[in-house]
Amino acid sequence: MAYARPCGDFKTSYAQDMALLDIRLYRWGFAVLLVALALAPWVLGRWIYLLNDIAIFAVGATGLSLVMGFAGQISLGHAAFMAVGAYTSWFVTSQLRLPFVVALPLSALVAFAVGAVVGLPSLRIKGLYLAIATLAFQFLVEYLIVQTVSGMGGTPVPSMDLFGVPVNTEVRFWYLVAAVWVLGAVFATNLTRTRVGLALMAVRDRDYAAQVLGVNLLYYKTLAFALGAAYAGVAGSLFAHYNRVIGAEHFSLAQSIDFVAMLVIGGLGSVWGPHLGAAFVRILTQLLKMWAPVLGALLPVLGRATTSVHDIVFGVVLIAFLIWEPGGLATLLRKLKRYVDLWPFPH
Amino acid sequence: MTPQFVLEGVVVGLAVGSIYALIAVGFTVLYKSTKILNLAHGELVLFGGYLAIAVTSAAGFLPVPAAFALGVAVTLLAAAALGFAVERAVMRPLFGQPLLSVIIVTLALGYVIRGVMVGIWSGETRTFPPVVPAAVVRVAGVPVSLVGVWSAAAAALLLVLFSLFFRYTRWGIAMRAAANEQLTASTLGVSLKRVFAYAWAFAAVAGAVGGILLGLWLGVNFALAAVGLKALAAVILGGLDSIPGAILGGLLVGVVETVLGGYIDAHVKLWGQPLHGFKEVTAYLVILLALMVRPYGLFGTEHIERL
Repeated sequence: MAYARPCGDFKTSYAQDMALLDIRLYRWGFAVLLVALALAPWVLGRWIYLLNDIAIFAVGATGLSLVMGFAGQISLGHAAFMAVGAYTSWFVTSQLRLPFVVALPLSALVAFAVGAVVGLPSLRIKGLYLAIATLAFQFLVEYLIVQTVSGMGGTPVPSMDLFGVPVNTEVRFWYLVAAVWVLGAVFATNLTRTRVGLALMAVRDRDYAAQVLGVNLLYYKTLAFALGAAYAGVAGSLFAHYNRVIGAEHFSLAQSIDFVAMLVIGGLGSVWGPHLGAAFVRILTQLLKMWAPVLGALLPVLGRATTSVHDIVFGVVLIAFLIWEPGGLATLLRKLKRYVDLWPFPH
Repeated sequence: MTPQFVLEGVVVGLAVGSIYALIAVGFTVLYKSTKILNLAHGELVLFGGYLAIAVTSAAGFLPVPAAFALGVAVTLLAAAALGFAVERAVMRPLFGQPLLSVIIVTLALGYVIRGVMVGIWSGETRTFPPVVPAAVVRVAGVPVSLVGVWSAAAAALLLVLFSLFFRYTRWGIAMRAAANEQLTASTLGVSLKRVFAYAWAFAAVAGAVGGILLGLWLGVNFALAAVGLKALAAVILGGLDSIPGAILGGLLVGVVETVLGGYIDAHVKLWGQPLHGFKEVTAYLVILLALMVRPYGLFGTEHIERL
C-alpha cells in the first residue's frame, strides 16, 4: 500500500486488484472528503442550501449517467422520472400518511417500475428515435401532472421526519441527503465494475456485438433505464420534501435538459462526471440567479435580456464543452492529474 | 362525433397540417443531407415568426401589404444567414462526432436562440397587423378563416417550389446526391461543406416560413416552439428520411390533432373534470404509437444494422 501509484503492477490478489481506493493517497483523500462533507454546515454556514441543492441533483444525474454514460441510451425525459418519485413520495406521505422512511424507497421502486416500462421500447428503437420517444414521455408526464394532481400551481408536500426526528432545517436535511448521495454514488461506482456495468458498457459500445457475446439486450437496456429512473425517483422524493411544493414546472423539459447538461459538462461515462456536472450546473444556475438583476442594474442597455441570461449561458457552455472538451470536467481533471504526475516532464 | 364535426376537423386539420408539413420538410431535408436531428427546429420557427412581426411593425409607415412583404423578405434572408452561421460556427467543428453530442448541441442551440429571443422580444403573444382580412370563407361547406386558407395555399405552393428545386437545380441535385450517399457524392465533386451549409439554411428558411404562416393565423408566442416538435411527430410518422412522408405526416398530424384532440378536449371527462389542452399532446401520442408500430415511419427506409 503505497502513497503514490507505483511503477509496475505489484498486486498479488484479486481483492487488491478490485479495491476502489487502491493507494493510500486515495484512502486519505476519501476520508478527507467524508470529513469535509460532515463538517460542511459549519464551514458553509447559510450557504449549505447550495450543497443540498447540488446533492439532490447529483443523485438524479448519477442515474442518468447509468443510462446515458454507461448504457449509451439517450434519455431526454429524466426529469419525468424525478416527477414520478416526487409524486409517489407526496402520495405516500400526505394521502396514505406513511412516514418518509417508507416513502423514499417506495418512490425509488415506483420510478424503477416506470423506468422499466419506458425502457422496454429501447430494444426496438434506438439513437435518434429513442431520444424522441423519451421526449414524448417527458411531455406526457408534464401534461398528466397538470391535468391530474397539480394543475398549473403546485402541490404542497408535508415536512418529513426520520424516526421521529423532524428534518426541518437545512443542516438536518444536509446530513440526510449527504448520506443518500454518498451511498448512491458508491453503489453506482461499484455497479459499473460488476457484470452489470460491463454489460451496460458493451451495450453502449455496440449493442449487436454485445448480444452476440451473450449479453441479454432486453434485460440490460431495461435495467439501465429502471436503475436510472430509480435514482431520479430518490432525487425526486428528496426534492419534494426539501422544496415542500412540487409542480409541473419543477420537472419540465428544461430540467431534463439540465440533467443532460450536467452529464455532458461533468463527463459522460465517468464516475465523477455526474457529481462535478451537478455542482457546476447548480452553482452556475444560482450565480446567474443572483447576478442577473445586478447585471441588469449595471448595464441597463441589456434591458430584458438579463431575464434570459440563464438560457443563453447554458446553451453556450454546453456547446463550448461539446466542441472543445467532449469528455467534460472529468477529462479535464484527468489531464490535470496527468500533468501533475509527470511534472516537470511533458511526457 | 358527428360527421359535420369530423368534416370541419379534417378541413381545419389539413390547413394546419400543411404548415406542419412545410416545417417537417425542412426537418427532413436537414436530416437527409446531414444526418442531424435538429431539436432546435422549434426555435427556428419562433425566430421566423418574431422577426417577421418585428420588421412588419417597424415598417409601419409603409402600407400594410408592403410592410408585410418587407418583413417576409428580411426574415427569409435572416433565417438563411442564421442557418449558414449555425452550420459554420457550431456544426462543422462537430462533424463526425457521436450522435449524442450532435443531438445535445442542437438542444443547446435551441436554448441560446430562445434565450436571445426572450431577451429581445420578451414572452408575450404578438400578432401581425391585419395583412389578410379577418373574413371567414366556406371550404366544402365548412367555415374556415381566410388566413387559414391563405396559409395552406402558401404552404402548398412552397412545397411545390421546394420539390422543383430539388428536382431541377444544380444545388438541389447535389443535396440529393449527398443525402443518398455522402462519400460517393463527395468523390464526384460535391462539396459536402456547402451541402451542409445549404441544408441548414434551407431548414431555417422552411422553419421561418412556417413561423410566419402560423403567426399570421394564431399570433406568435413561445408556445410556438412546441410546433417545431409537432413537426417532429410528422417526420417520425412519415419516416425520417422521406420528403413525401414528411408532407403526408404533417397533414395526418394536423388532422388527427384537430379531430381527435378537439373531440377529447370537448367531450371526454376525466373524473368529472374536462381535459384541457389534450390537443397539445396528441402529437406526442402519435410519436409514441408510430415508434411502437413502425419505428422507421410510413415511408422511411428501414435501417438494417450490420456488425
